[in-house]
Amino acid sequence: MSEILNTLMQDARIWQGHRHIHTGQPSEPTGYQALDNQLGGIGWPRGALSECLLDVPGIGELQLMLPLMQRLSHGGKTVFWLNPPHTPYAPALAREGVNMDQVVLINTAEDGDFLWTLENCLRSPVTGLVMAWPGKLAAREIRRLQLAAEAGSNVCVLFRERRYAEQNSPAALRLELAPGDQQDLKVNVLKRRGSWPGQCCSLAMKHRADLAFQEAPRVVQGPWSGRAG
Amino acid sequence: MLWLYLHFPHLLLDHIRRSRENQGALAVVEGSGQKVIQACPQAQSKGVRGGMRLKTAISLVPELGMVRADHQQEARILEDQARWLYRYAAHIVLVPPDGLLAEVGSLQRLYGGLAAVWQTVEQGLSERQLNAWVAIGHTPLAARLIARTGKGECTSDKGHILRALGQMSLMAAEFDDKTRTRLQRIGLNTLGEVLALPSNELARRLSPETLAHVQKIQGKRADPKTPWQPPHAFRQQADFVQEIEQSQGLLFPLQRILSELEEDLCWRQQDTDSLFLVLQHRHQEPTRLRIRTSGPEHRAEAFLNLIRLRFEQHPLRAPVISLVLSVKRFLGREAVTGQDLLGETQDLNEAWHTLISRLQARLGDNALRQLSPQADHRPERAWSAAEVLRGQNTRLPDYTQLPRRPLWLLKGPQPLTEAPLLWFSGPERISGGWWDGQRVHRDYYIAQLANGQLAWVFRDVRDGWFVHGWFG
Repeated sequence: MSEILNTLMQDARIWQGHRHIHTGQPSEPTGYQALDNQLGGIGWPRGALSECLLDVPGIGELQLMLPLMQRLSHGGKTVFWLNPPHTPYAPALAREGVNMDQVVLINTAEDGDFLWTLENCLRSPVTGLVMAWPGKLAAREIRRLQLAAEAGSNVCVLFRERRYAEQNSPAALRLELAPGDQQDLKVNVLKRRGSWPGQCCSLAMKHRADLAFQEAPRVVQGPWSGRAG
Repeated sequence: MLWLYLHFPHLLLDHIRRSRENQGALAVVEGSGQKVIQACPQAQSKGVRGGMRLKTAISLVPELGMVRADHQQEARILEDQARWLYRYAAHIVLVPPDGLLAEVGSLQRLYGGLAAVWQTVEQGLSERQLNAWVAIGHTPLAARLIARTGKGECTSDKGHILRALGQMSLMAAEFDDKTRTRLQRIGLNTLGEVLALPSNELARRLSPETLAHVQKIQGKRADPKTPWQPPHAFRQQADFVQEIEQSQGLLFPLQRILSELEEDLCWRQQDTDSLFLVLQHRHQEPTRLRIRTSGPEHRAEAFLNLIRLRFEQHPLRAPVISLVLSVKRFLGREAVTGQDLLGETQDLNEAWHTLISRLQARLGDNALRQLSPQADHRPERAWSAAEVLRGQNTRLPDYTQLPRRPLWLLKGPQPLTEAPLLWFSGPERISGGWWDGQRVHRDYYIAQLANGQLAWVFRDVRDGWFVHGWFG
């Protein structure tokens, strides 16, 4: 290292980013130890926006939310699903131990209603978690949501397309989700509070389809004949 | 019964003057645009009079602002006045085009005397920058006649009222022309002389209608009045003499309207969360703005800030000739409950109901759904969506025995368009519905598609392949 740099370091005149600052922000653990470690033990921030960026549903994105949904719904907090792309399947959620009395599904028809609804859910003390599929959002609107999230103290996760990873966003936590080779979920931390982003981890998600005990795929040979019916 | 009559000698002028920042000379012109009907004090001081030709008026005051008289507009403005008067008196009658009648006999005890009622009304008038001649009479007609002469006094003494009526000329007593001429030929010149005549003589020598009019003034004949009912919605309009080109110029009249809205809301004990603002343009479709607050609100300042923000984002498309602010949705006001002694926040149950009702009110009842598993083998029937209800904390049934299912269910099965990469479990045969005609006979598999999605696919009887869910 050069002389000048050494002097600077010794005088402690330069901030060294490796020192993780433990921010005192309220948060909820994700329920996945590996991910919690990558997030500096913080997990989902409360009173702030989180974003999950993914291309297609069905890669384990709901499984990622399940531990939080289970905990909050049994703690008497309401879990809102706002404009989900498909129907959350009640028997599967109930089987996973989510209290369905606390799950509310909202579908908004008009554009203006989406933000309004989300803001109202975020500000309410009854809300534990809001999962929202916003479609297109302007940066200004995300900022507005971030402010609304700060007014409450609940977890808000926006599910957006992966191409938005390039755009900057005021969200406090941004995760890029991609499917792995072993039916796992690869999580790439694009942004988080209190430290550098760039952490990657892979979460085993095989159990979501009861595949955990099968040593290798192709145990059951499909009846696929090579041509779609 | 005692009646209070408000006569607005130039209501339209007052209405327009108070939405204006600069107080220039102003005149109301009749529909055809030939003659001046009313002139504001400033115009009058420069020589403009009612009945004057418009050309003469303009040559006297070149910068004269002109407003065309419009009966519909006048009726609307009069109703606006009835609305605030309704806060003080319950029984109100509209007397178009320029009068309001209120029953005040029953209010004396509430306000502590007639003088207090009078003062309250006068104060209301001056707050709204309105000119009105007030009078009290023992009959509606007596109150009206006295008010229109501008000699109203705060008294409940019948003798006093009758004396004031007695001195009134026949013209002021509102006899029609024919009757007036006949009365004058008889040699009667004041209303007092007519009142002194015996009633049967009056009916015989003049007409029964004249008698009815006289008896209504005296209170010897019933003069029923239908009370006015205030509308449920709030609506206020401001009309401008000169077109307003900058949105900044709209804020001044809006401020007044919003403070009236605040007063109205306070009086209703209600809040609102959406305002409708319509800006009328001369040659274009009106601009309609919907201003929403994120929570129930009644403060004029908060509304004004929102409107200001909106104007900053969307500049005016065209000059504005009038604006209408209306509120149709009212919400019950909630008491602000802070933290209690133990630091507990407000009752969550109540907060839950508030949130859900707000969402339902705005989005419609069907937008909010609660899901629950149902006992059926068919995947599309194994769940149901119902209206949102607060759970009663009953013991949850044990669902862990349910078979493994995907977390996403597609709204309907989608054709499988590509060959899956990997096959995992299956087949799981689901066959049912023979009892209600919705027959389902499928073999379900779990498979992974090329883009990493874990899908719940099935093959039906006709060998078609479909995706029915995603293992999200």
